Amino acid sequence: MKKVGILVLSLALILGFQSLVLAETLKIGTLSPLTGPYAQDGTDILQGVKTAVAVYGPVKGYDKVEVIPGDSACDGGKATMAANKLINSGVDVVIGAYCSSATEPAQIPLMEAKIVQITPASTNERLTAKGYKYFFRMPPRDDVQAWSTVQFIENKLKAKTLALIDDKQTYTAGLTANITKFAKEKNKVKIVAHEYITPGDSDFTAVLTKLKRINPDVIYMGVYQPEGSKMIQQARKLGMNNIFISEDAVYHPKFLEVGGPAAEGVYLTFAKAPETPEKEQFIKTYKAMWKVDAVGTYAYFAYDAGMMALAAIEKAGTTKGDALQKTIRDNTWSGVTGDIKFDEHGDRKLAHIVWIVKDNKFVPYWDPMTGKDL
Amino acid sequence: MDLSSFLLQQIINAVFLGSIYALIALGYTMVYGIIELINFAHGELFTAGAFIGVIVLTALQQIGFVDTHFVLTMIIVFGLAMAYVAVLGVALEHVAYKPLRTSSRLSALLSALGMSIFLSNGMMLSQGVSDRAYPQVFGLESIEIMGARITNGQIFIIILAIALMVGLQLFVHRTRLGKAMRATAQNKTMARILGINIDQTIRITFMIGPALGAAAGVMVGLYYGAVRFDMGFIFMIKAFAAAILGGIGSIPGAMVGGLIIGGIEVMWAAFLPSAWKDVTTFTVLIMVLYFRPAGLLGESSTEVRV
Repeated sequence: MKKVGILVLSLALILGFQSLVLAETLKIGTLSPLTGPYAQDGTDILQGVKTAVAVYGPVKGYDKVEVIPGDSACDGGKATMAANKLINSGVDVVIGAYCSSATEPAQIPLMEAKIVQITPASTNERLTAKGYKYFFRMPPRDDVQAWSTVQFIENKLKAKTLALIDDKQTYTAGLTANITKFAKEKNKVKIVAHEYITPGDSDFTAVLTKLKRINPDVIYMGVYQPEGSKMIQQARKLGMNNIFISEDAVYHPKFLEVGGPAAEGVYLTFAKAPETPEKEQFIKTYKAMWKVDAVGTYAYFAYDAGMMALAAIEKAGTTKGDALQKTIRDNTWSGVTGDIKFDEHGDRKLAHIVWIVKDNKFVPYWDPMTGKDL
Repeated sequence: MDLSSFLLQQIINAVFLGSIYALIALGYTMVYGIIELINFAHGELFTAGAFIGVIVLTALQQIGFVDTHFVLTMIIVFGLAMAYVAVLGVALEHVAYKPLRTSSRLSALLSALGMSIFLSNGMMLSQGVSDRAYPQVFGLESIEIMGARITNGQIFIIILAIALMVGLQLFVHRTRLGKAMRATAQNKTMARILGINIDQTIRITFMIGPALGAAAGVMVGLYYGAVRFDMGFIFMIKAFAAAILGGIGSIPGAMVGGLIIGGIEVMWAAFLPSAWKDVTTFTVLIMVLYFRPAGLLGESSTEVRV
């Protein structure tokens, strides 16, 4: 009887020990604004990552995959705090942040901790120019975006005058600075005004009236979606029929919902994801999982970042920063936003196309790479 | 667009924005006038009004009521939003401020900040984090006067804002309740001796101030097209500045302050580098307070009351 007891006990111990060894939780941290004006995009990112974890299923070597959300609030200080909190809770990889001005300071603690960081949204080119080998970026860079915009204005619209509006943040100010730079290269289009707004404001009539008086051919809205939706409405109410161009931060279903008829005819630059069955499947899963009518712009990149991170961890067999970054860099991954292959800086070769708002939908319009209509 | 129509357009922009600031500022100034408390939760009451407005308006639009009974729709939307927030204001006073009426002003101030965070997060959890689109009942139509444009919505909102402000002024100066409010603001003890029900007077103040804020919330939603749980913050800062500039505690002061803040913001952006717009607004505020510490129309608070 005693022997049996010992046998059972030792078997139980072995099982217990084994489950201790195997009970590994893979922790994926996210950084995105969950509060503040850009909380919509931040929530899209978190939901995109969670969708990836649900779709991917079990990861070899781990019992469980846990998503730990961090709130970067589009604020450098809060993002750094959130990044440190994620490091302390032992995350293996971080997906985020959203605003470039939040991603930039959050890079420092993450890179020091040798944690792989993949941003699904921040597009300021400085982020990948610092030589951080653990940092990767899903969307195309702002200089690429600015170049596409200037190509469009010069070669398709053949406009002569351009006015810029931005809200002085890292991302928007970077974009308008790049547009200014590219526009000056060929000097085909003249920048006649550069106006500024405050993020979070609702009333832009003063600045818009100023531009109405100057009456440029094209007005560039370097803002985020909440401000952009209101700005275009006010412009139309002021009777401005100028051509409006905006960017990827405004390319969001909410822009169509809030902007309504005022948004018609606005051009936006954004990467074009190929129409694949995988993308259709993702849209279906996402909508069902989060009970929403439309998938937020950055949910696609966040989903791809999540799927790629899980696949890379499985392939590398480790979450150690050095091995993981090498695995990510050395392979080509497939995603709903197209094939993912990073260069030595951690950037993808991904181009923007110009979209137009037509019948309250984003419709592909022009390809800056080929100079052809779509 | 020539200079005169440009100027006229900017004046329209300024008056419109200023009226909204003024309506919100009234809530601060009335509460301060009566219990000497900065009601930091006022921005959230304003947002709550905007949310009630969007909920009611969307519902009415879905049953097709807006197209057939436009005036009635507006009365229902503004009425419900103001009534709801008036009740919320009284509840806020009862829960967060009344128990602290005799304690130090700092505790009441902290309580106000706490309520602001509580309400803001409550709205975030119940209404979501994203922009909520207001049905565009006014559309994009506008009329042109001397080259400047004013939309039907703007005309409606400015007229309503002025009507509310005139109404408030008449209420405070022509009714017994208004007189009781003024008496309570001047001297609570004396007012009580003379048989004024202080609790009731404070309650009424906490109904009217927030209700005006709620009306401003609906106006912001109707004109700017979207509301979000944290939209109260920026409006609160500007309206608070307006209340201080006009002289906190003074009702005409809040109206003047609102128009001045709106005016500076618009006119600076119109003629000078727009990046400096907010810096200027607050520099003017500091300058005014330097020379007139009690604000433009405020009573001098440096006077020692013995």
